[in-house]
This record gives sequence, C-alpha cells and structure tokens, in this order.
Amino acid sequence: MAEGNIINKLFSAGPLILLYYLSISEVDTNLEKLFEVFSLNLQIIIIYFWIIKRPSLMGTGHIFFVGLINDVVMGFPLGISSLSYLAVCFVGNYVRNKSVNTTIASDWFTFLIALIFANLLFFSLLNNFSDIAISYAKIGYNTFFTLFLFPVFWLLFNLYQITFIGNQDA
Amino acid sequence: MSVSRDDFSIAFRSALLQRGATQKFSIFSLIIVALVIFFLDVYGFTVVKKSRSILNDIVYRVTYLASTPTRLFPGINQGIASHFNLRKENEELRQVIERYKSLDLNLEYITNENKNLKKVLDTENVKTVSNVVLAKVLVDRNSPFLKSIIINKGSKEGIIKGMPVTQNKYLIGRIVETNYLSSRVLLLNDLNSRVPVTFDEKSTQAILTGGGTRKPSLFYLPEDYKFIEGITVFASGKDGIFNAGTPIGKTTEDGEVDLFVDPNQLSFVTVNLIKPSKEIF
Repeated sequence: MAEGNIINKLFSAGPLILLYYLSISEVDTNLEKLFEVFSLNLQIIIIYFWIIKRPSLMGTGHIFFVGLINDVVMGFPLGISSLSYLAVCFVGNYVRNKSVNTTIASDWFTFLIALIFANLLFFSLLNNFSDIAISYAKIGYNTFFTLFLFPVFWLLFNLYQITFIGNQDA
Repeated sequence: MSVSRDDFSIAFRSALLQRGATQKFSIFSLIIVALVIFFLDVYGFTVVKKSRSILNDIVYRVTYLASTPTRLFPGINQGIASHFNLRKENEELRQVIERYKSLDLNLEYITNENKNLKKVLDTENVKTVSNVVLAKVLVDRNSPFLKSIIINKGSKEGIIKGMPVTQNKYLIGRIVETNYLSSRVLLLNDLNSRVPVTFDEKSTQAILTGGGTRKPSLFYLPEDYKFIEGITVFASGKDGIFNAGTPIGKTTEDGEVDLFVDPNQLSFVTVNLIKPSKEIF
C-alpha cells in the first residue's frame, strides 16, 4: 500500500521533475542542428498545461525557482524567466477560474494569450533593461513552434495524466 | 454588465492572490520578488553580483552533473555498436598497425626536424604558452537566443572579462562573465558578438558579426567589395581584446565566415590570460 503511494507520488511529481530537469540540464529543445529555425519553449507548455489541469502538481514557488535556475544557466538577468513563467501561471489561473470545462481547442487558444503575454514581458524587459541583443526572427520562430506544437504536448501530457495520475489527489 | 465585470475582477484577483494547500505563495507576491531580484541584478549592486557569482558556480556544477546521462548515453550506444562491429574493427586496426609501421621508419627524421623547429621558437612564444589556461566546457546548452558556453575556470585562475578564448589556436569567443570557479564564453556566432577582423592580400578590415546562426557575417567592408571563397579571416586586434593574427575561419561567397571550430563541438578550450587594453562591457 505504502509502496503504491510512493509510486503515485513519484508519478505526480513527474511534470515538476521534468521542468526542473529541462532548466538545469544541457537538454534543450533547440534543434537547430536538424532544422536551423526550430526552437521550442517546452517549459512554458509544461507550466501552462499543468496549471490548467492540475495546479496542485505545479507549485508557484517551484515555478519561480525553476525560472531563477533557467536564468543562471542561460545567462539572462536573474528573475526574468521567473516573471515570464509567472505570467503564464497567471493566465492559466485566470482561465481555470473562468471556465468550467476545457477542450484542446480552447486550451490552445488561451495558450496563445499566455505565450504572447509571457514573451512580451520577457523580451521587453530584456530589451529595455539589459545589453543582451536578441534576434526578433528567432523570437518569432520560437513562439510559432511553441504554439504550433502545443496540441502535441497537450495530448502527451493528457495521456500521462490519465495513465499515471488519474483521479488521485496529488 | 456589472455582473460580468464582477466576475472578471473576482477571477482576476483570485488568479493573482489565490493560495492553497500546495500553492504556498501567491503569484502576486512572487512577481514582486522576481521584479526586485531582476532590478537588483540589472543595476549591478555589489552584494547581488557576489551572490549571483556564488549561485552561478553552484548551478553550473549541478548542471554539469545533471547533464552526465546525456553525455554518457551516446558513449554507451557507440560502445554497443562497436561491439557488434568487432570483426570489421579488427581488420581496420590491422591496417592501421601496418600504416604505423611504415610511419615508424620516418620517426627519426621527424624527431630531428622537431628538435630543429624547437630551436626556432623564441622566448616570446614560450611566455605566451605559460599565459594560457586550459578549461573544460561544463555546460554547452544550445539556446535559441544566446550562443555561449560555460567553462570550469574562473577568477581563481586569473580569468577576467574580455579575455580571448581559443581552441587549437583558433578564436572561438571571449569571456563575458566570470565567477570564482567558472566563466561564461560568448561565442563568435552569438548575436552580441562583434570582432574586428582582417583578411585577403589587401588586409581588408571588417567587423565579424554573429547572427545567432552557425556562420557569422562580415560587415563594414569597403564599398562594392566582392567576396572570394576560401580566404582566411584573422582577428585584427584593433579592439585591444583579441590577439592580432588569430585565425578565425574562411570566407564564403555570401559574405559569411565558415568558422574553423564548430561552436557546437567544444569540449576543451584555452583562455589566453591577456588583460584587454580596454573594458568594453
């Protein structure tokens, strides 16, 4: 019984572990070796999906901390990724409060708002308060591919949720 | 109308301020903390700089450890593949041995030649050799926005901002951030990278500018300049940062430079401990 409980907790912690791992490891979703313009912000997809579906699995404190780690590894000013991730959380929370039942299409549309809001905050802060120059084309590609691939990850995470988490209280 | 406005404000407030059993902090409080951290870091207070330096060192080491599986798996795959190709490998090794046997005949000649060449090297070169630090690449995360690597040597070894970084004497970038035990190297193909260069018989001057792509481009050339493929580009040293004559890459017909060192394949680099004559950052 206790063993089953530990496994359940491990599965529930899966998305958070993945989020931490993506931020701290060398694993990246920038596959420019295969396709030069391809890059993806998987962290934002993970945060948005789980905040909408299972907010109890994504503590905002963890999201804030993940953002700080991401800034250190990527070389951005501290706190900028945290702000961007928290903006996604805010939109996710708002959508969850306002809607009763969500579908993949409604989540996709609201994700667009969250993504634009988060990226606008991130790049306007970076542009105005930092010396780091960033290619607008790269931002565009990144936003496009993140948005474009959201349904794919939505289905994968939904499958994970149904298979491994189910209706258990996390 | 007023009901929908109430709904909006309730949902808005709830999204910002709500806390629960697992949500120990409200989004609003965390946004305030993140903003404070951001502005403290951007405006560079000494305490924050030192804290960030310590944090960087810790996180980089953890990142290195966390990335170990991703480095090991390709190695394991190669090992399995080579096990299955044992016979073929054996034949290839036999051929290599035969080749080495023939090369051995030339060894004495090469040894003598090496001795003579060593005599040619002056003391200035010897000094240069002692002013370099060999560093291992700790983190090579391929960001879509910033092209940089993190190395395992920092201010403890005398590394300061602006020092040129090379591999096999080919320029790959410069130091942009130093911590006690680690440093960040901005690569030549980063959008923020600008290097004054010189090339061709007329010693044409230009600025090598990274674009976030694999090959940086040449800008500020003489009017109507026509590119010829395959001309070696060297650092001109006019910025007082890079050593004049350090090779960088070869030109292409499009005005880009095909770098001698692939920025995605770095494992060990050399930091030249030359104090830049001016601080650019």
